[in-house]
Amino acid sequence: MASFTPYTYIQCPCHDSTVQGRTADDASPTVSHELNEDDDDGHAFDPRAQRSIFSLYPLEYLLYCDVCHQIRCPRCVSEELVTIYCPSCLFEVGSSSLKTEGNRCTRSCFQCPICIGPLAVQALESPPESAPVLSEGAGTPIPSASWVLTCSYCHWNSSEIGVKFDKPQGIFAQLQKLRYGEDQSKHVISGDSSPTKPESIPDTSKARFAALKSFYGSQTVNANPSAGLSGLGDYGLNSPGALTRIMSIYSGNNMNGLKQKNKPTIMREADSHNEGFRLTDLDESSAISQLRRDGMDGTITSAQAKVQVEEGAQFADQLWPIPYLLRTKRSKRCPVCRHIISKPEPKVSNTRWRIRLAANNNAIPTISIKPLNPPPGSGSGLLRPMRPAQFLLTFKNPLFDDVKVTLATPATTPGRFASRVTVLCPEFSIDANPDNDMYLDDVLKDGEKERQRQRGDEGIHQAEAGKIWERGRNWVSIVVEVVPASLRLDPSSVSFRTEGGSEPDLSTLREDEDILEIPMFVRLEWESEASHDQVGATISREKDAREKRELAYWCAIGIGRISQE
Amino acid sequence: MSRKQVKGEYIETDTGNKVARKAVLVGTQHIMLGGKTVIQADAMIRGDLARTSQPSSAPGAAPGSTTAVAIGRYCFLSKGCCLRPPGRIYKGSFTYLPLRLGDHVFVGEGTVVQAATIGSHVHIGQNVVIGEFAIIKDYVRVLDGAVVPPNMVIPSFSIVAGQPARVVGEVPEGGHEAFELRELYKTVGNNPQPLPV
Repeated sequence: MASFTPYTYIQCPCHDSTVQGRTADDASPTVSHELNEDDDDGHAFDPRAQRSIFSLYPLEYLLYCDVCHQIRCPRCVSEELVTIYCPSCLFEVGSSSLKTEGNRCTRSCFQCPICIGPLAVQALESPPESAPVLSEGAGTPIPSASWVLTCSYCHWNSSEIGVKFDKPQGIFAQLQKLRYGEDQSKHVISGDSSPTKPESIPDTSKARFAALKSFYGSQTVNANPSAGLSGLGDYGLNSPGALTRIMSIYSGNNMNGLKQKNKPTIMREADSHNEGFRLTDLDESSAISQLRRDGMDGTITSAQAKVQVEEGAQFADQLWPIPYLLRTKRSKRCPVCRHIISKPEPKVSNTRWRIRLAANNNAIPTISIKPLNPPPGSGSGLLRPMRPAQFLLTFKNPLFDDVKVTLATPATTPGRFASRVTVLCPEFSIDANPDNDMYLDDVLKDGEKERQRQRGDEGIHQAEAGKIWERGRNWVSIVVEVVPASLRLDPSSVSFRTEGGSEPDLSTLREDEDILEIPMFVRLEWESEASHDQVGATISREKDAREKRELAYWCAIGIGRISQE
Repeated sequence: MSRKQVKGEYIETDTGNKVARKAVLVGTQHIMLGGKTVIQADAMIRGDLARTSQPSSAPGAAPGSTTAVAIGRYCFLSKGCCLRPPGRIYKGSFTYLPLRLGDHVFVGEGTVVQAATIGSHVHIGQNVVIGEFAIIKDYVRVLDGAVVPPNMVIPSFSIVAGQPARVVGEVPEGGHEAFELRELYKTVGNNPQPLPV
């Protein structure tokens, strides 16, 4: 069995939509918490419930809004793009060129279609051999130049699909040309209906979509100029057509509606290639014969097909180099008060953050878990059923203020196997985080060690109820005693829980059901400087006015696996 | 010297480097340590693979001008890892090019690094292979067993895994402090201290 590392996941309050829906004005922390507690009175949080997984996060992933005084998770924040860049060449891409060029790098950054490793441009030393080149665009003559894209991971190179380049720069444009012919946008814009050989017109999904869009746009405008769908493309109200349509909907007189009824219009469907219509190629004989010739080795995996830019590739010779998808730097806003809670520097090369209200630096103490008396030499590290085990939970305070912590856990863990949980010290306070001065840190730590040593001399340290185990400058350790449940599927067992008197669920052990996971309600109370950014009233008060803060949340603490005896 | 050997497993230098006596450093004149770096036993640094001097200059030219491996501060090289400068054909002849590590770079056990540049605050797991001329920017986490292909560029705040490696996630906002190696530095050496809570 894989080794188990203890974990702490914290529940974001956004699981409860009533909290999130509240406006910023009445979201005073105390009120929302009281409501929360009222809601939760009847039922403790069950980390194993089907929906819980969506609201539980490791601490590092959580942010903290210092205006609402609430935890924010990746699921509830709203993100805004700050910078768009290519992850390979690290060049910034403007949002305007993003709209025209798409979301891929248009420089020379490509991924291998076989293994997704990066491709490098390399000169072909030997003249191209007369290998059976399977060029898709049969019309495009292969230039006599010799630059290819090669993958240094799987040694694929672009000559395998018959792609060679004249020059080592501007690979994206060259590849587009090779793939789609001279200019793929021409046949879309010029609506002239004389496709001499429709097969030669490329079937890029983008071009087809543009053709279909323009066709149906013109159809609706022709059919009903006043109520056309011409505004559909930009979803805005900036086109007069859309405005009149909305006016006709909301104004009382149904003049337009009447007119519509009088004039039944027939909308034609797209039926030619120019309009974006494509017949499905039902003749699969060529594919079958290729499959016969190349065997399964010539086909591609679904993963390879998925990362291709164009869909529909079946064989390895239809795989094209993949231009890198662009990546973004994003800032995050609180969903309730719209304050920015995380904002990176816009430059790609800069790794600093302008605002970074991470929860582990601004509010929530970290919880680390370790066994109190590590059993010597027991390799399994599993918890023995029905044998009490003691664990140390260490809370480390990131705040510069003293924090009062109150813990609560259900007496037994939820789920089919009810392990007993006892928190020996559910109420304690943690001292403030001192200034992060390195030298001071070192000096103080020495003194601390001295104290620790003294404590060690005191002899056997007994875990006592109501007393903390150990205390540091900004941390506190407490003892939690657990009696792991027996994992035997025995309805008569004490620790086996039958839900609501119904038939006992005797199905076999589910995945990770042997993990002893404790739901714990943590309530923090501290006093900090009043925030001045809310209303003008607070500014007029004394500067050192202290404000009481409160934060409460559920978390799930994974202690260990129970052995299946 | 023999008295010192009895003293401890590590050689601690004035700049705070802690180099295990069992570490294998080849071509030390081409290795630059920024200070406070830990090199554990059986870690190997191939300083001998320095840039081959130009034919114009004398073969025994001043050392130091040809740094093969440059390491910043607070780096941690675990047991059995290997730092090896990448090499390629440049202007018709094969040459090695320097390998640079930033600050707070952790290199896991059994990992081979042949990158061109590794930024600061980078965590590389166990049994990872970093291919030649890979460029890893700041705040990157390479998970255990990953194989980073040669020439790959990994942008900042990426989590990378797989064979070949690909970006599988982003380092969250709260995860930046986990890259700090100051505390880890104190836990090794001849006078190791326990990790603070």
